[in-house]
Amino acid sequence: MDISQYLDIFIDETAEHIQSLSDNIMALEQEPENADTINEIFRAAHSLKGMAGTMGFKKMQHLTHDMENVFQEIRNGNVKVNSNMIDILFECLSAVEEYLETVKSTSDEGSNDNEVLIKKLNDYLIDSEGGSSESGDDSSEEASDSEEDKSEGEAASSGEAPFKTMEVDESSKSKLVEASEAGLKLYGCTVYIQSDCLLKAARAFLVFKAIEDFGEILAFNPSSQDIEDEKFDLCFSVIIASQSEFEPIKDAICAVSEIDRVEYDVVTPDMYNQDDQEEGLPKEEEKKVPAKAETKAPKKDASNKSNNKQAKKTGNKPVTARTVRVDIEKLDALMNQVSELIIAKNSLVSISTTEGNNGNQGFESQGFHEQIEYLERITTNLHESVMKVRMVPIETTVNKFPRMIRDLSRKLDKPMHLVMTGEETELDRTVVDQIGDPLQHLLRNSADHGIEDVDLRLQRGKPEEGKIELNAYQEGNNVIIVVKDDGGGIDTEAVKRKAIERGIVSEDAAEDLTDKEIIDFLFMPSFSMAKQITDISGRGVGLDVVKSNIEALGGDVEVKSEYGVGSKFTVRLPLTLAIIQALMVEIRDEKYAIALGSIMNIENISKSDIKYVQAKEVIHLRGLVIPLIRLDQLLDSEPKEEEDDNLTVVIVKKGDNHAGLVVDNLMGQQEIVIKSLGKVIDNNKIINGATILGDGEVALIIDVNALV
Amino acid sequence: MANNEMEVVNQEKVQYIVVKIGSEQYGLNISYVDNIVRMQKITRVPKAPHHYVGVINLRGEIVPVMSIRRKMGLEDDVYTNKTRIIILKLEAQGLIGVIVDEVREVINLGEDEIDRNVQNTSKKVDANFINGIGKDGDELISIFEISAIVDAVETI
Repeated sequence: MDISQYLDIFIDETAEHIQSLSDNIMALEQEPENADTINEIFRAAHSLKGMAGTMGFKKMQHLTHDMENVFQEIRNGNVKVNSNMIDILFECLSAVEEYLETVKSTSDEGSNDNEVLIKKLNDYLIDSEGGSSESGDDSSEEASDSEEDKSEGEAASSGEAPFKTMEVDESSKSKLVEASEAGLKLYGCTVYIQSDCLLKAARAFLVFKAIEDFGEILAFNPSSQDIEDEKFDLCFSVIIASQSEFEPIKDAICAVSEIDRVEYDVVTPDMYNQDDQEEGLPKEEEKKVPAKAETKAPKKDASNKSNNKQAKKTGNKPVTARTVRVDIEKLDALMNQVSELIIAKNSLVSISTTEGNNGNQGFESQGFHEQIEYLERITTNLHESVMKVRMVPIETTVNKFPRMIRDLSRKLDKPMHLVMTGEETELDRTVVDQIGDPLQHLLRNSADHGIEDVDLRLQRGKPEEGKIELNAYQEGNNVIIVVKDDGGGIDTEAVKRKAIERGIVSEDAAEDLTDKEIIDFLFMPSFSMAKQITDISGRGVGLDVVKSNIEALGGDVEVKSEYGVGSKFTVRLPLTLAIIQALMVEIRDEKYAIALGSIMNIENISKSDIKYVQAKEVIHLRGLVIPLIRLDQLLDSEPKEEEDDNLTVVIVKKGDNHAGLVVDNLMGQQEIVIKSLGKVIDNNKIINGATILGDGEVALIIDVNALV
Repeated sequence: MANNEMEVVNQEKVQYIVVKIGSEQYGLNISYVDNIVRMQKITRVPKAPHHYVGVINLRGEIVPVMSIRRKMGLEDDVYTNKTRIIILKLEAQGLIGVIVDEVREVINLGEDEIDRNVQNTSKKVDANFINGIGKDGDELISIFEISAIVDAVETI
């Protein structure tokens, strides 16, 4: 047992508590009187402090302790919530986050003790409380001190301490006898842990470690294994053999945080002989311990609804017990193996069809086919399961945004709020990890450039408070994330002027540009529209980075904007990165794959159905005008000598846009494994990967999103 | 001691794979060579740089294949049953295939057998691709500078 095994749990749980604090402090600002919110905050802050203490991160503990004091004062109604205070709290939270980051990378909290922040916190308390401030810093200690007194009194009045009545098995008993014969002093000791302590086992471990500096632990109750597995209530008992007096041992135990108190006495091996006299006692102990836990909890957190919270916690436990943390690399490896399996299966399918064509297998090949189909079903299911394992809700990434917008709102002095929907939408873990930055950028963009100043908003007849929306949902094989604001929109004239100024486009050419083409300039490297550089945005490393990040994930981004009304950025991401269902098509003698998710339908049209709009080929299909894309021309295939009268057209869609891809032949649907083309020819916009067909041939995958 | 060590270094020979491109012989440092495969179906990649012929399937990996002839401005490859694809393994670029007319042999060349003074090599070949001329008996073997072959690609 080693403290480092708790480090992962610590990091995860701390991050959770920080998030919960952040959310609830936001909520608190909106509803300063909401008792539930305050209690939730208090609970999270307390857990944070406790966990930092357990892990021995003293500075972090100190900071969170002082934060907790502030929350306590809020809870007691001594301090009113105002945005100034919220600012300080958020600053503290950022500092805690920093500690966590340091812990993550170095397993140590670092050297920043954040004195300034702590002073700010305490000053704030003193300022707001005036004369009554003496209760500020020490209140929680006082509270727990007095409680300690009470419970100690209680213990004294309710008879024997648990260690006197603990059961000792034969082997331990003989050790006791040996130790006492060797002249060592034997102490029985019961350690009580605070009722709201998390990671009880870790605390017990620290206690044992402290004790072992002085002597040897001869007997445990419950057993050491149970203690390690956290299978104990709020107290555990041990018998210690030591040469030292008990006082220093007690001090060492009490130095472990969240230890409520220690009861001890000198014991002799005789006390644990199970003679008649002590037969009845264990029962009494059983009765006492739960009773104690019950009386304690309400007292400690009388106003805290702690019972509810605890119930909630225990309710959660089975769920955690049923999950397993897996290194993402292992999942990657698993996914790769599934990919290989699918390739192998595809080659079996390909063999079975050629065998079938020979026609001489007859009866046997019937069974063979069935088995192949069976294998196909299994691999497809297996692939889906592995993929699902990798899916996580985008929540973890987006839930930091409300606070970011709040901070920006204050910094920019523009009232605005963020509305988020669809946080539960799931995406591949690797995508979720990398989508944070681009989204953050888009949101900052909306806050900084999008939302207008209050005066201008009122002038335009909009509500004073700006509104930014972040909306995520699944569409076919894609996940769509929309960032929308009701701000000023993109001033295409200004962008055009800027483009001319930069020499990107000539004045004449600029006249003919569509709004969409102009907006595309914004995605060019170092094209910032901010009139002045702020630390929020405007450094010119902006939308181009967003675009390239999203494209690196196999997605794309699209902008719609109306000047004076608002803009809308639509980010489209593939659900999975590795294996997709695809339609295989033939163009001349080359084979290409088109992702099935983007295909709407397949049409056979006659040559005479082709119409021309602006000198471009289109077809008119059930009310839609669909531009035709001649894949053979686009892909530089050899020209055909004579064109057929009938064309096979694969209609694909991206959002509201459609296009008809003209192909020579359809080969059928297949599950394909996407492989990269390698770094040297990766700059290809039309092809987004390759796949290996059943016969070992390589087929390229057409990126529909780049075409439409 | 120091002298002895010097001698050891000097005598340490490097293995080169000797290939034929047109009428000339070239040497490839064997430490960059992952594999040599027979000519197989190459899938053309549209819009790829001109000297990339396409991609092949090498035991489940997609490997881009380049034509060193196109790269050096020679006339296009004519595939025969002696044509081979040499698979190079590079740290930054991963696997890359290079088409050669013929693979002849593996030779050992010491540093003293390589003339590093290569300013005035063949007019057809950009001297940048070569970092020395090895002498194996009567034969002259131009030593490819592998990083130049591929790095030059990346700047396109």
